[in-house]
Amino acid sequence: MRPLLHIPDGFLAPQMALALWVATAVVIGIALRRIGQRGPAAASQTILMGLSGAFIFAAQMFNFPVAAGTSGHLLGGVLAGFLLGPWAGSVVMATVIGIQALLFQDGGLLALGANIFNMGVIGTLGGTLVARGIAATFGNARRSTLFGVGVAAWLSVMAAAGFTTLQLGLSGTTDVSIGLPAMLGTHVLIGLGEALISVAAISFIAVSAPEIFAKSAPTAPTSPRRRVAAGLIITAATVSLASLFASTSPDGLEKVATDLGFITTSQAAPFELFADYSIPGFDGVAGTALAGVIGVLVVLLVIVLLNRLASARKGS
Amino acid sequence: MLQRSSQRDARGAIVAALLTILGIALLPAGSYVTYALVWLAVATAGAASGYAPLTLARRGLIALPFTLAALPLIFIRGDELIWSGALGSAQLSISGAGLRIFLTAAVKSWISVQVGTILVRRYPIESIVGSLRALKLPDAIATGAGLTVRYVELLRGEASRMLRARSARSASPVGETRERIGGTIPWRAKVTGNLAGALFLRAYARAGRVEEAATARGASGSLSLGSLIQPDARLFMKVALAIGAFVAITAAGALLPRV
Repeated sequence: MRPLLHIPDGFLAPQMALALWVATAVVIGIALRRIGQRGPAAASQTILMGLSGAFIFAAQMFNFPVAAGTSGHLLGGVLAGFLLGPWAGSVVMATVIGIQALLFQDGGLLALGANIFNMGVIGTLGGTLVARGIAATFGNARRSTLFGVGVAAWLSVMAAAGFTTLQLGLSGTTDVSIGLPAMLGTHVLIGLGEALISVAAISFIAVSAPEIFAKSAPTAPTSPRRRVAAGLIITAATVSLASLFASTSPDGLEKVATDLGFITTSQAAPFELFADYSIPGFDGVAGTALAGVIGVLVVLLVIVLLNRLASARKGS
Repeated sequence: MLQRSSQRDARGAIVAALLTILGIALLPAGSYVTYALVWLAVATAGAASGYAPLTLARRGLIALPFTLAALPLIFIRGDELIWSGALGSAQLSISGAGLRIFLTAAVKSWISVQVGTILVRRYPIESIVGSLRALKLPDAIATGAGLTVRYVELLRGEASRMLRARSARSASPVGETRERIGGTIPWRAKVTGNLAGALFLRAYARAGRVEEAATARGASGSLSLGSLIQPDARLFMKVALAIGAFVAITAAGALLPRV
């Protein structure tokens, strides 16, 4: 099972390809500046980045049988980002994706900016920040770090697949309503393989070389506010992604009510804010995703208010 | 004096490849005559580089799986219908506009892949990295890419030996294919992850040794890997030709008939 994330030339509108080149250049520029600020350590970091690029290439040979002649293999974005840091990891992935495009024509040269943006910036930089955010939210213990890496590795593949489809859709070379579910559906399993391999690799390193793991894992204590913010972002992202797979079929009670013929006796609610998880002006998946995010915010608001009420009563 | 192939200046070729691919990307949809002419020119350049046109054409099919992304457009766009009917129990229609978008994307990617293939055929990757550094690619990326290229075969060799060891230790049950050996899927993923973790530790150790060796030789700061040894004296002529090719492709796209 091979991910379809390396966009070849000819599939993106030139304006889209150039815009993504600019966006990628800005982010990679910031990453290079951050690496350069490390002073004398930057040279040894560059050597490690070069060897890590070779490692990513070689590690992609490690496939594992899934079923009936298909196999999954590592992409390595979150793994590289976690081990080297998000900025260095994104530069390593940019280098690897560039060499893949040049050497193996795996992805186009004009589309290289888009491919680096999807896999190196969103997948690696974003994925590693999510992994660290989750680890910090749950207390930076080894288990929470591995959990964070697993979730982030899965999300990185899904996000890269989602962004790839959206870019193709905006370029007019695919229909997003068909392409997005198809791409995300395929990459659910690929992402799962990526998550399992990444977690196993980090776990192995944590046991075999605890000093490298300790250097990679974030140790700074996180403030409660940052924890809540990280939890909020993760929940909102998960709800948005999950909404793409929301079924349009009626729920259990509605189905029974329809089958037994008493659905017509139901009465409308006195007020309807987002009837059937839809937002006025937003059709389809976008509306459902937005309704999910609003739901998360409302739940958070209720919890915060209840917490304040409980604290006030406790104080009095 | 003969230059080592890894030291050749590929700047002109890189600019030519990028401008050609940009020119192809800018061609309007349905310019099949222009596509054919551009492919003839690319195939001629390929033949001059020692690539048989058919081999080059086959190599261009590497992007074929990605055309699946554009395939639904043929059936779901309702404009310019060229066929409509029943296929079994399903109603199907083929849109001329959707077919044009699909063919345009497929042909453009097919030709662009061949352009990239010729570039790598003519210049080894070390030479391309050196030329990119000369074209102001940041040092960290150029050095990183140089090291990646230099050590990729070594680490792939390590990975091959680890895979061979995994196979040697995994008995294949009678009547089962080798794809099914081992335990559950999470168990197989764990073993694969362990291999990846072990390989990273080897790469990490190798990076330490490379740094020690570089320090022992008096290197400080940049390793300047992938530097260009001798610039091409005909660079400006090659870039001018590349610009000429870009203009010719764009003009052909604007002037020649479209379907």
